[in-house]
Amino acid sequence: MIRNKSILLVFRLVVGGVFIWAGLLKILDPLEFAQNIANYRVFSRDLSLLAAIVLPWLEILCGVLVIFGIFRSASSLLLSSLLAAFLVLITVTIFRGLDVDCGCFGSLGRHVDYSLLLADIVLLYLTLSIFVSSLSRRSATS
Amino acid sequence: MRIKELIFHVGIILCLSFVIGISANLSLIKQYRKGDFSQSFLSPEDFPSIQFIGIFEAEDLFVGGNAVFLDSRAEEKYLEGHILGAVNIPFEGGERIVEEQLPFPRETTLIVYCDGNECQSSVLLAKVLAEFRFEDIRVFFGGWAEWVAAGLPLSERNDT
Repeated sequence: MIRNKSILLVFRLVVGGVFIWAGLLKILDPLEFAQNIANYRVFSRDLSLLAAIVLPWLEILCGVLVIFGIFRSASSLLLSSLLAAFLVLITVTIFRGLDVDCGCFGSLGRHVDYSLLLADIVLLYLTLSIFVSSLSRRSATS
Repeated sequence: MRIKELIFHVGIILCLSFVIGISANLSLIKQYRKGDFSQSFLSPEDFPSIQFIGIFEAEDLFVGGNAVFLDSRAEEKYLEGHILGAVNIPFEGGERIVEEQLPFPRETTLIVYCDGNECQSSVLLAKVLAEFRFEDIRVFFGGWAEWVAAGLPLSERNDT
């Protein structure tokens, strides 16, 4: 586990920045994001729209909180859960052979492929490092 | 105690996201409940030139002979078989083809289709065509699968 504060700060800036950027791009066109979610053919249309409306704000909120270190455990846990869910969705999509736009960065989207899977794993490692370090920091202070 | 606190914080963040997201998109939710996005998440206000049609209207337009069918699937699939007379504009690179090679007046009725009602390239191509100011774009949602199932005229040569 990484304990170096400077490295963890870089992790927080990278993770926070990526999620704020991703959330902002999705907010610009919620309908396109809803269509991207629907294209995975996993969620109903109602759920696709609800996710397209809520998810970008969740990403932005968590991104800001992670950067500023507020509710650090909760925000990094939420981001880790999101990334784990994306990981499952990407893997299932690749195995189903669907050629879909991931919807990760709004209209700057990219296709679901192995490089996306790798990027997701790297981000998941960063968020989990932030989460674990925030837990150990709590236990050290309590 | 710490787990309770963590769950409480997660709950706060989730609730805030729901409240902000829903408040920021109230008009969109109203449109959705009205049935505006029953076939695709495409705003009628942003894309007034795009309509969605079924097999009967597609067939009528085919028989009428005034509409142009655009096949948004990849070239290999197009060459395996397509709607008789359809022009292939694979969505990948479609923007360039529309800009450089589509020789139709802007008021031509264009019917875009792909594999079937679960593919997305027809809608994406329709959006590109709308951006190039084509005025009458119809997305044939049933696409190639429905056309074949209905036994309508096909072609296996390159019509482009």
